[in-house]
Amino acid sequence: MKFRIDPIITVLVVILTSIGLTAVYSATHSTGSASIFFQRQLGYAIAGMIIMLLMPFISYRFLERASYVFYALSILLLLLVPFIGVKGFGAERWLAVGPIKIQPSELAKLATVMAVARYLSNREVNVNRWKYFAVVSLIIFIPFVLIVKQPDLGTSLVFLAIYLPLMYWAGLNGFALFLMITPLFTMLLSFNYLALTIWLLLISGFLYISRKKWLLLISIVAIHIGIGFATPYLWDQLHDYQKNRIITFINPEHDPRGAGYQIIQSQVAIGSGGLWGKGFLNGTQTHLKFLPAQHTDFIFSVIAEEWGFVGVTVVLMLFLLMLIYLINLATTVKARYASVTLMGITAVLFFHVFVNIGMTVGMAPVTGLPLPLLSYGGSFMISIMLMLGVAQNLSHNRYMV
Amino acid sequence: MDIKKNIIIGLVILFFLILWSGFFNLQIVKQDTYLQKSINNSIRKETIIPVRGLIRDATGRILVDNTAAYSVAVIPRRVSEGVLDSVVRLLRLNPEKVKAKIRKRNGFRPVTIARDVPDTSRIFLEENRLAFPGVITLLEPKRFYRDSVFSPHIFGAIGEVSPKEQKEQPLYESGDLVGKSALEKQYDLEMRGTPGVSYTLVDASGRELGPYNDAFNIPARHGQDVYLTMHYKLQAFAESLMEGMRGSLVAIDTRNGGILAMVSKPDYDPRLLAGKIDSDTWNRLLNDPGHPLYSRAIQSVYPPGSTYKIVTALAALQEGLITPDWKVTCPGYFKLGRRTIHCWNAAGHGTIDLYGAIRGSCNVYFYKLGLKIGLNIWEKYSTLFGFGRPTGIDLPNESAGLVPSVAWFNRRYGEGGWTKGNLANLAIGQGELLVTPLQMAQFAMILANRGTYYTPHFLDHLYNYQNGQNNPYPAEPHFINGIEAGNYDVVREGMRRVVDGGTGWLGKVPGIEMAGKTGTAQNPHGDPHAWFIAFAPFDMPEVAVSVIIENGGGGGAHAAPVARKFMEMYFFNRLIPRPVIRKKTPEEVAPVDSVIAPLELPALLPVLPALEDTL
Repeated sequence: MKFRIDPIITVLVVILTSIGLTAVYSATHSTGSASIFFQRQLGYAIAGMIIMLLMPFISYRFLERASYVFYALSILLLLLVPFIGVKGFGAERWLAVGPIKIQPSELAKLATVMAVARYLSNREVNVNRWKYFAVVSLIIFIPFVLIVKQPDLGTSLVFLAIYLPLMYWAGLNGFALFLMITPLFTMLLSFNYLALTIWLLLISGFLYISRKKWLLLISIVAIHIGIGFATPYLWDQLHDYQKNRIITFINPEHDPRGAGYQIIQSQVAIGSGGLWGKGFLNGTQTHLKFLPAQHTDFIFSVIAEEWGFVGVTVVLMLFLLMLIYLINLATTVKARYASVTLMGITAVLFFHVFVNIGMTVGMAPVTGLPLPLLSYGGSFMISIMLMLGVAQNLSHNRYMV
Repeated sequence: MDIKKNIIIGLVILFFLILWSGFFNLQIVKQDTYLQKSINNSIRKETIIPVRGLIRDATGRILVDNTAAYSVAVIPRRVSEGVLDSVVRLLRLNPEKVKAKIRKRNGFRPVTIARDVPDTSRIFLEENRLAFPGVITLLEPKRFYRDSVFSPHIFGAIGEVSPKEQKEQPLYESGDLVGKSALEKQYDLEMRGTPGVSYTLVDASGRELGPYNDAFNIPARHGQDVYLTMHYKLQAFAESLMEGMRGSLVAIDTRNGGILAMVSKPDYDPRLLAGKIDSDTWNRLLNDPGHPLYSRAIQSVYPPGSTYKIVTALAALQEGLITPDWKVTCPGYFKLGRRTIHCWNAAGHGTIDLYGAIRGSCNVYFYKLGLKIGLNIWEKYSTLFGFGRPTGIDLPNESAGLVPSVAWFNRRYGEGGWTKGNLANLAIGQGELLVTPLQMAQFAMILANRGTYYTPHFLDHLYNYQNGQNNPYPAEPHFINGIEAGNYDVVREGMRRVVDGGTGWLGKVPGIEMAGKTGTAQNPHGDPHAWFIAFAPFDMPEVAVSVIIENGGGGGAHAAPVARKFMEMYFFNRLIPRPVIRKKTPEEVAPVDSVIAPLELPALLPVLPALEDTL
């Protein structure tokens, strides 16, 4: 490569960030201080862009070797949060370093991905063996637990979300993946005994075909039955507000003034946009502040209201391009470290995009996950740019072994 | 590696397609729904309450006006439990009622929870507006009665519309103030005006951001003014005449049916039910033994007593059963079967013709007459003169009274369970017969006009502010068919003699030729009711009056003077001093020895406006 900078990633980032900037301007227009939000976001975007474009100039080897250090550092910061953290929106998530506030959980995403990749880059490591599997799991679960404790449910889910793709990419066999995925369905179906019975029969059939040892198979089925019975019991143990959150996700109208209010207002904003949208600065839902957090978590509703289905399609296509490009890159790179890191970054990005956008249409719960490159917010912008900067570095060094 | 990659790419594309389909569903399939929702959300439609039409008397004097009152309303979607609780406590409202009210409507439309709020509470709420999100104060006019204006039974009250009323009149929207009783109810649609609409841009916290688009706004239209046929001065005088009594006075202009005065006592101050109605006041009025909430003039029914002898006489004359010369000798008692019934004049009236019988209100004469005509003819003529059905006056909840028929008697007492005694009783206006004071006044009008009458009405005309036009009440003459004018002349002559030295001599207005009839209606609630009906002047009648004083005693002594004073004020605008006359005319009292004990009836038939569901 002549240039160290990956042109496709850069172009996509510039386009998406610009769309985000206009949306932030529009979303904050009615507050009368749109220029402040816009200028700040512009500052974050430029700073992030510079960081992203500088990343390819760092040595690949340094990046690879620094992975564990980076991971250790972010774990340390996460541990510090409860002690010297700054109250954000009700939860202790921020660390103040002079005038800059940073979110350790944002850094931890990238650090965890890189640490897992670093560990897997060792040729001896085979995730299909218990020892290595446990280590990879541990690398992911330590930050997960720390972030759950913060408590930041949305961000912690990111770690669960990268778990499976990383394992799959690292070569975990189908049977193990099967064992990891099926309990989730068992939990979901446990509230309906008929569905649960059919599901358990399906699992049993599948296990029978797998021709593993009988004892193992029986114990797996037993575990599933155990989960199936335990889940309704545990559900009853949940606090009402916890149940409400989940119920509201399933039926937003259930609580029209609480969490459901956001989803309803977001759906109204999106739906009223129609095919072509209401036009820039014309989104009434957005400007009249019916939509809460419209410049952060619900930025995509603003885009959908003002630019309509056409705008939605364009932005979705841009994200899809970015993700497919990164997945392609993950198969192109020679080094296993680079490949796994890229896949991890893809998984993080995908999860954010899917959950955030899904939330605005009511297909995913309101978790407070921002939309990469579009949502207002410095820490998140920088952390995403950092990830994409690493991707740029790996893209540049794709032939390194 | 490639297979894995393709699986992952496939999955990513699949998930994106799911998202995309979500947007397709919202933005393409359901766009209209959500567009409508977004308009409702961000644009608040506000109703501009129109000015309610005024009520004025014949001279244009304002009787019922409007004044500013403030209501407190909440927007159900925006108000939180805590804020609601503190407002309820501040205004001392009933929390259950308020919550039930809000639960019914769960939107962005304000729900009024308190009306006519005292200024201190209102100012407190407005000054601390930020502490009470979702609570607003509204300017909602309330009725204002000019000093010296009372007559609650004529004007009525307004209150919040009930679900039942909404069902009957789809024009009413929830929370509307509508007429609940009397004229306010009768002419509600005319007086209420047309609400205007203004669209305002609001944000999610309910804050107004300015007008939406003036082109969509509709100004409110002033309701029509109601002009009454009465001069309120005369009405007020009539009310003062009846002060301290229980009873009613109804005066009708015989030339067009317009009500000149309608009094029902005891009454109450209409200001008590203007604006908000607190339950204490309401319960006090409701449980008052004097029943001030009833309009006795149209809702209470009484036996008419001897005033009804005129109906019996007209029936007998028209059927040709007697001539005016038909004579009866009254020895002071009457034998019916084995029983002896006494005339009120124990000394007896001697031998009298019809004129004399009316003048002296001889019971014996009319017992005989009643037995002569029979129940069917009696009932036929009673119905002919408008008894037993509402007069159709422009007030709601009018009573029909009761004219018993053969079928009615059979139903009530069984065939053969009633006797000629019942008939004899009915002939002198006793027994099961029940009439309203208004029906008696209408009957006086019929006699005054020799069969021509008009539906009694308060409304003279409506004034329309929009086109500046008056819309008069269609006062059309009706005619009682089947009574010869000559027969009217007979009873009119008898009635002239009643006031000219007869039982009603105390009702005579000096200088005015007039006619009247006294009545003393025995009833199971104590002293007899005093009745007097009259019309004047005799040849060119202008006014017909009926007066009843509950348990007042003799009609000639107690009801007739009230009617006289009213007429004096009507004709001369002053009361005429009277020389003290000592006349040895025996006082008419009730038939002491009635054939059948008077029918036990509820004191008043409850026909009440539903004010309970008013705030």
